[in-house]
Amino acid sequence: MGNSSSSSGRHHEEMVDYGSLQPQGVYTGPQDWNQSVVTQLIVARKIAPFYRPLEEYEESWDDDQILAARKELPESSENSDTAARGDAVRSSHSKRPNGGKEFRPDAAVYRGATECPICFLYYPPNINHSRCCDQAICTECFVQIKRAEPTTTHLVSEPAACPYCVQDNFGVVYAPPTWRGGIGSDGAHPLSPLSVSRMEQQASVPTHKRRQKSYSADSPEVVTIDQIRPDWEAKLAAVRAAVARRANRRIIMRQVGDRLIPVGIGRIQTPEEAAEGGQYVGVSGQDLEELMLMEAMRLSLIDHEEHQRKEAEEKKKEEEAERAGAGQGVPSQTDQGTSTTLPLPSLSTPSAPSPGTRSRSPSRSRTPPIRDSMVNRSPPPFSTMNAAFMSSGTASAFLNSSRPPIVSSSELIPVPSANPRSEVDAQTATSSTIATSFSSLTGQLAQPSSSTSSQPSLGPIYAQLPSSPDLVGQQPPLALTGSTAKGETASTLSVPDGTTTPGEPAR
Amino acid sequence: MASISSRRLAKELREIHAEGCPVGIELLKADDFATWWFSIEVMGESQYRDEKYTLQFRFDSQYPISSPAVQFVVGDGREAPIHPHVYSNGHICASILGNEWSPVLSVIAVCVTLQSMLASCKKKERPTDNDRYVRTAPDNPKKTRFHYDDDE
Repeated sequence: MGNSSSSSGRHHEEMVDYGSLQPQGVYTGPQDWNQSVVTQLIVARKIAPFYRPLEEYEESWDDDQILAARKELPESSENSDTAARGDAVRSSHSKRPNGGKEFRPDAAVYRGATECPICFLYYPPNINHSRCCDQAICTECFVQIKRAEPTTTHLVSEPAACPYCVQDNFGVVYAPPTWRGGIGSDGAHPLSPLSVSRMEQQASVPTHKRRQKSYSADSPEVVTIDQIRPDWEAKLAAVRAAVARRANRRIIMRQVGDRLIPVGIGRIQTPEEAAEGGQYVGVSGQDLEELMLMEAMRLSLIDHEEHQRKEAEEKKKEEEAERAGAGQGVPSQTDQGTSTTLPLPSLSTPSAPSPGTRSRSPSRSRTPPIRDSMVNRSPPPFSTMNAAFMSSGTASAFLNSSRPPIVSSSELIPVPSANPRSEVDAQTATSSTIATSFSSLTGQLAQPSSSTSSQPSLGPIYAQLPSSPDLVGQQPPLALTGSTAKGETASTLSVPDGTTTPGEPAR
Repeated sequence: MASISSRRLAKELREIHAEGCPVGIELLKADDFATWWFSIEVMGESQYRDEKYTLQFRFDSQYPISSPAVQFVVGDGREAPIHPHVYSNGHICASILGNEWSPVLSVIAVCVTLQSMLASCKKKERPTDNDRYVRTAPDNPKKTRFHYDDDE
């Protein structure tokens, strides 16, 4: 509650229409909205001020009952301050008999109070209404509604939907009272008994009759949730950039014999970088598939490595035995250093890749067509690396020993869904099979949530559900869709925000 | 000071006590504002005739802005209903419990919706990825990002 210090009792004069510029502690979480924007909107009477809510409200209550029902404030200092003020107000009027002609505006504002359907607390009838379906929502609840935070696995930020009717781009409109109090009230009508009775009358009219019109999200009257969190785009951009940085790291592999050997980590230029100058090393969808195929092949070959080695050893023994017997040597066909190696023109030279740095043409990781890899050509141009790899046994051992900043096996990199063709899934050298890599991609691609628009309105459902049990069994599940867990298609996605994905491969 | 969560749940509970639950739904346990249990059965003709299940709600302090964690109770003789959207560990793949949760929904509204989900079931079967999911599922179903593919 970083902002609440300024809401202490010193600033009693900072009230708008008997409501505060600061939240009243209904919610205890962090204030992650832009409070100065909210303050401006309250002062401009574009949204309702933060009134102290009433726990309950009865039409028959007198002023004392109303004031007593006001919610306790969270902070003791603020509490005592305001309470003292409330006492002062009360005592100043207590000379007269209660229910007499005296007029107490701080209680009068609650006449005709409205229950906020989200926090279930009561507020003065001048409350915000959803722009789309004209449902009441207090300012405390309004500032809580926000876009879902983008995560590295969910690189979109959909506008928050209306909690009542699920329409996109939630926003409210606020009809300020005809009277004014506090900031900006000079020369305006003060709150009077007459205006209170008008207020009560208005509140008793059913909401849907009060306003037929729904406002579009860009109407000047509307305040959207994005307006009070103007940093949402920056947040999204930051997450996207982080993912893009990681996704641009790729393992550069060399095919040696029947294996692909990772020789380093490269980075693909973004189109922006390419525009700045230098050669653009793009990755088309085809490249991506090829890269994945290569990775699959490499992993499957690594799986057989033990087998191959054993075979080779056996063969060697046999040959030695043969040689010993017949005195005639046969060169081993399984010696990887001397046979069947394809130097891939697109692969890096060993010196080029350096982790985290931009890889230009030397480390160009455009992958070769797989069929080429089946053809045996010349001996490996880089046999020392090959030897290093041979001695280290596995790709991961090799990479981990020689390239410290390499992504670890647990840090799987999701494919950004926003621009899958230009941002390539980095295949880490030590984990993930091709099948899951592919499916994680499709999982991302298949994810655009067009679902919200097809959802029926929740408002009416809510209204019906608790009181209409006989609907059960006659209607299909309302607003309820679901099926398989996402693990079906996203088994390699890591979810950094602590959530896990179903079906994560048991490793 | 009571949190928004317990304040709202207190009001929901008061309403449940005053008006009772819808047919087929009973409050089993609401000793605190952290975990509530309901029994749920489908009335009339359905795949789940004469079957009774236990539904568990877990609330965090940001309820109702944040959705409750809802699942069927499994163990001690209780089973999750066999349903294409219900995993054998009791987790439920339902959009209103995830990305389509709305703070306007209430505990009873969720109960009725899930009851209706069972009622409309044509064939009793587990989700196709049940075994894989259950093997690695987190304790709290809210940590799972379900893919609601009926939307498409």
